[in-house]
Amino acid sequence: MNNDHKNVSRRSFLKFCGGALTACAACSLPLKGAGPRPLAAGADKKTGVKEAKYFEKLAEKKIQCALCPHECRVADLERGTCGVRENRDGTYYTLVYGTPCSANIDPIEKKPLFHYFPGTEAFSIATAGCNFVCKFCQNWEISQKRPEQVESIDLPPERVIAVARNRGCKTVAHTYTEPVIYYEYMLDCAILGKQEGVPNVMISNGYIREKPMRELCRRLGAVKIDLKAFTEKFYAEMCAGKLKPVLDTLKVLKDEGIWFEIVVLLIPTLNDGVKEISDMTQWIVKELGPDVPLHFSRYYPTFMLKNIPPTPPETLLAARKISLDNGVKFVYVGNILSEAESTYCPRCGKTLIERMRFVARVTGLKGNKCKYCSETIPGVFG
Amino acid sequence: MTITRREFSKKLLAAAIGLGAPAYLPAAPSPPGKESIVALARSTRLQRVNHQIDKAAAAEYLSRALVRVAGAPSPTAAWQSLFSAGETVGIKLSCLPGPPLSSSKGLVMAIVDGLLSAGIKETRIYIWDRTGRELENAGFKPSYVGINIVGTDYYINGGYSPNIEISGSVGTCFSKIMETVDALISVPVLKDHDLAGVSIGMKNFYGAIHNPNKYHGNRCDPYVADLCNHPFIKNKWRLTVCDASRVQVHNGPAFSPRYAWEYGGLLVGRDPVALDYVGWQIIEERRKELGLKSLVMENREPTYIMSAAKLNLGNADMKFIQKIEI
Repeated sequence: MNNDHKNVSRRSFLKFCGGALTACAACSLPLKGAGPRPLAAGADKKTGVKEAKYFEKLAEKKIQCALCPHECRVADLERGTCGVRENRDGTYYTLVYGTPCSANIDPIEKKPLFHYFPGTEAFSIATAGCNFVCKFCQNWEISQKRPEQVESIDLPPERVIAVARNRGCKTVAHTYTEPVIYYEYMLDCAILGKQEGVPNVMISNGYIREKPMRELCRRLGAVKIDLKAFTEKFYAEMCAGKLKPVLDTLKVLKDEGIWFEIVVLLIPTLNDGVKEISDMTQWIVKELGPDVPLHFSRYYPTFMLKNIPPTPPETLLAARKISLDNGVKFVYVGNILSEAESTYCPRCGKTLIERMRFVARVTGLKGNKCKYCSETIPGVFG
Repeated sequence: MTITRREFSKKLLAAAIGLGAPAYLPAAPSPPGKESIVALARSTRLQRVNHQIDKAAAAEYLSRALVRVAGAPSPTAAWQSLFSAGETVGIKLSCLPGPPLSSSKGLVMAIVDGLLSAGIKETRIYIWDRTGRELENAGFKPSYVGINIVGTDYYINGGYSPNIEISGSVGTCFSKIMETVDALISVPVLKDHDLAGVSIGMKNFYGAIHNPNKYHGNRCDPYVADLCNHPFIKNKWRLTVCDASRVQVHNGPAFSPRYAWEYGGLLVGRDPVALDYVGWQIIEERRKELGLKSLVMENREPTYIMSAAKLNLGNADMKFIQKIEI
């Protein structure tokens, strides 16, 4: 099986660039037609306000949120940790229903989802907010903001699906920030998308309670989970969260049978230890199975973590080797150029999907089988 | 008449200012080990009528309190000892709960008069809170002519600095108003807080940052202390004038009539930790009278106050706090 890292040749890079440039140009085109409308100047942002789904009313106008493991207990006029849910007179409201602050068309590979309609485009949206405070967040300028601190657009679920369809996007992706915190909006988009043949995918930290996650699984097409690390210490110190609920979410995804992939952002000295990666991958193989694609992504200094240099490519490739040795069949590296971005048949080693950054070419699949040896390749390929 | 060394120093200072001495930048609040003065005024005249304090009453009691806190011979001298003409001063209000439990207009305007008497220009006074809407709801109509009455959200891009500032456990973007002012006055309301225990002068600055929602875990501890330890706050904060005309002793931070106490009080101090500590004790005493559990028993002890003391932001020990009743 040819999974060794090789230098990318100039010729193959330029060959891919043609496709990449085309894809990038498509991504940057402004949305027209049934695209998003900006809110009118001075528009009342009540368009974003809707009663939340998962919460419990308590005495004295307090509420207890039941959406994510923070289980915020929120007094009247206060908000939860996510910053986008507010207690008003004893009822909990989401403040961002139908009002994303970011809307783009991205290759599905950017999420990254490598085994879910590869080579297609996802209409990608996000509202402000997150239920974590990851010190290395690359999207902190929207994830760590409250909805009144960002520019939002009016985009109810029916228009999300219409835009995706009009622009030829195969899927809708809830991404960039943390879609768990705009749960109601994501759920309604997913319900409508399923009806209309535009599956929705969730790109998430996995910090969600079981009941709402299971409800989502029945409507979503795929999920990608950011597994930040494999220690409670990292989650507490670097993310203001906990590891165990994320592992529980992964088990729920497995149990529900929904397609999912895992990404780990490797940060030098913090979560890149050999033992930690080994423990993590052994857990994945044992609890989730060897077929779950695992991505190791390169960290860059940002937000509140700027004193650590970017992850050396060798670290990513070493993590990949550990994972393959532990039985994970599909292991990728991200944010660097490498042949480890491509998909290879775990049996015969032939290239199935060529990838360079966000450009993908399906070359070795016939349906969901390797066209060379007929090995069934896990994923959703069309 | 015998004059104390402190009074002599203050007179000398006032004389120096009068002679056009360079702008005086007052020292930080009393360090640990030194006595911190918290003046407590209490009167039926300071009770709210239609949710507001009478300005004349507020001005009178504020002046009397400030003279004691600053150790000055007169109210004007007190204001002049704390603020220098030419400075820009931000008066941070607490307006989230609306008129029944927001910083009272009468008190705020009494503070403004005090600043004007110190030579601060109208255009260099900022009465502010998070949003224009919250200000207006509390009776402060936004204004950009003369005295500035402005929400952080008036400024572009939400009104917060694009730069992340880190102070201990807190990473945040400050309101652009914080970057504009040279000096700060915190004008909180004395109230219970469901998570922090109490919300007084220090926690008032949660309204100065873009992401307060991230810092309510563990009773807001050590987040409130770490926030107030940032130079933007620590080096600019000169005075706290706590509106204790109506005190929310339970079920805060929103207004809950059942537990609102018409205390008719005003707390003034330069040591933010000491003032918060004294305010906390007032709430605890009233809770006891009402048969409510103490905040400690409810696992809502405002431990951020002690964390702030450990950071040398002030005193949280009554041995070093002089509570003067006006």
